[in-house]
Amino acid sequence: MKYKAIAKDSIQGFIDGLIERRRVFAPVEGEKTLRFREVSSGEEVCLDFYNTKLSSKEILFPQNEVLFKYSKDLGAIEAKAGISKNGEWVIFGIRPCDAKGLTLTDVFFSSGEHGDQPYLDKRGRTAIVGLACNRPLNSCFCTSLGSGPFGEEGMDLLLMDLGEKYLVKVLTEWGVRLIEATQGLEDASEDDIETAMKLSREAEKSIRTEMPTEGLSEKLDGMFEDPLWDSVHQKCVGCGVCTFVCPTCWCFDVVDEETPTSASRIRLWDTCQFPLFTLQGSGFNPRPTRKERMRQRVMHKLNYFPKEFGAFACVGCGRCVRECPVNLDIREIIRSVMSE
Amino acid sequence: MTNPYVPHIAVLRKIVTENAVNDIKTFVVEFEDPAVAKGFGYKPGQFGMLSHFGAGECPIGFASSPMDGGTLEFTVKKVGVVTTALHDSMVGEKIGVRGPYGNGWPVEAMEGHNVLIVGAGFAFTTLRSLAKYMLHEDNRGRFGDITLIYGARNPGELIYKYDLDEWEKRDDIDLILTVDRGDESWMKRVGYVPTILEEASPSSENAIAVICGPPIVIRLSMPILTKLGFPPEKTYLSLEMRMKCGIGKCGRCNVGDKFVCQDGPVFSQKELEGMPKEY
Repeated sequence: MKYKAIAKDSIQGFIDGLIERRRVFAPVEGEKTLRFREVSSGEEVCLDFYNTKLSSKEILFPQNEVLFKYSKDLGAIEAKAGISKNGEWVIFGIRPCDAKGLTLTDVFFSSGEHGDQPYLDKRGRTAIVGLACNRPLNSCFCTSLGSGPFGEEGMDLLLMDLGEKYLVKVLTEWGVRLIEATQGLEDASEDDIETAMKLSREAEKSIRTEMPTEGLSEKLDGMFEDPLWDSVHQKCVGCGVCTFVCPTCWCFDVVDEETPTSASRIRLWDTCQFPLFTLQGSGFNPRPTRKERMRQRVMHKLNYFPKEFGAFACVGCGRCVRECPVNLDIREIIRSVMSE
Repeated sequence: MTNPYVPHIAVLRKIVTENAVNDIKTFVVEFEDPAVAKGFGYKPGQFGMLSHFGAGECPIGFASSPMDGGTLEFTVKKVGVVTTALHDSMVGEKIGVRGPYGNGWPVEAMEGHNVLIVGAGFAFTTLRSLAKYMLHEDNRGRFGDITLIYGARNPGELIYKYDLDEWEKRDDIDLILTVDRGDESWMKRVGYVPTILEEASPSSENAIAVICGPPIVIRLSMPILTKLGFPPEKTYLSLEMRMKCGIGKCGRCNVGDKFVCQDGPVFSQKELEGMPKEY
């Protein structure tokens, strides 16, 4: 019962069925990049890819998002989150690394006295359909961070590509409801499950990065003033792409935008890699150079976040490694720390 | 769940120019909705996020005391986009206020203790809130001796002169005012705050020290406080950081694993000793 199978030529129908009653977001081939977009038909969806250029974080935490609208005479504030249509959403075709990233996002935005309602409101209505990773890239290192190419964390359904068909693992009650009305779904055979296990083992084996992370957070405790930070940032150009593509970077800026007919307060992705991020009104900047800013990024992911939430704020998706214009590699930094 | 980013609408009831240079003003505001006003409690040392709609939002400490009743006061120095828009505002205009945020000065821990307040320059705002709170007739008996050392560059830059005049007349606070450079009419002390602190040598016995000021004043005052016998766990500082959300989400105000907006802005020197020096 836990496993179903669906032929590849039925998958569009499956997505179309989901769209009938839900908003569905899935990987879509754009002009230059493959990224998550809302789809109106299963035809638009691309499920044959390594990984999307941007993680799916932009669905629930968009690059720019209206926090609320107000009337310019300040007679009324419309206190709703930017997108608050009712009903279920589905993120379809998310890789295990990104699904794990979502679980960390959930923990972060729920934390503290004030939960982040604009995020949590969307998240609470969103089901996750994962897509296992048969062909991890050289830059992938999810297995070093407690996950794997067939990881299930944060998903309601996991699809596994068996060639002619997908094996569907049903992981939650919500997952059961997602496939209720699906045409062409059949019970999976023992062979299907065995094939998936084999693919899983192969995928894991193909990840060449073996990186110890045990004790990494503790090790960084005493390393704030370490000479390591004087060298690792040297070639960084401060572009911030590592943070924008990261599924577990959530820093934002808040600005007001007024047009002749509307007024809104908006949040925008921001990055700890820019000097303006921490520049104070007095002119003082606690992180004045790239050294402090890179240290902040690494320490936040591997030391501060684990201390507060018990997990690394890195899922090993490898995007920062792939997109960095000067080939900075967080794995190298982790290795340097571990070998100190 | 409510949207934590939506401010309450408040009306500017009074605007007071605080200094000779005319870049520091105190804004007296009142919530438009009486129910909001009634439910809005805060502590000295906490802060609010102030909106000037169209310009944006910024964190400003409460300068008023929670004992003051219906209105809130924020003292704002004109430095950037939002603060400039606020400075250009008129009485009767509407702004946004949300909060209160942060931990505030440790007023409960200070009860039964003598209190030394050290303030310098414009950073005096939440210390003024604290002083007003402690000096209120309902609260004064809960604190021991109060010594307040406050300095500015010159007499024209001392803010809250109306309060200082009043406090000078009281015998239940030892007020020590100083300026870096005096003028013909200045009859009080001349000298930097750390120097005056050393001269005054307030006793550290059963005492708690709170300090807020520019980094240089803090740096030079800390060794003096240590010499006077104030232990790090009884010395409190308020930190300042750029902030966008005030609720631990926007990601920029952390010092190590502590968010200044949520875990601070007030930290004991003991806590700060365990944190990276990135503030």
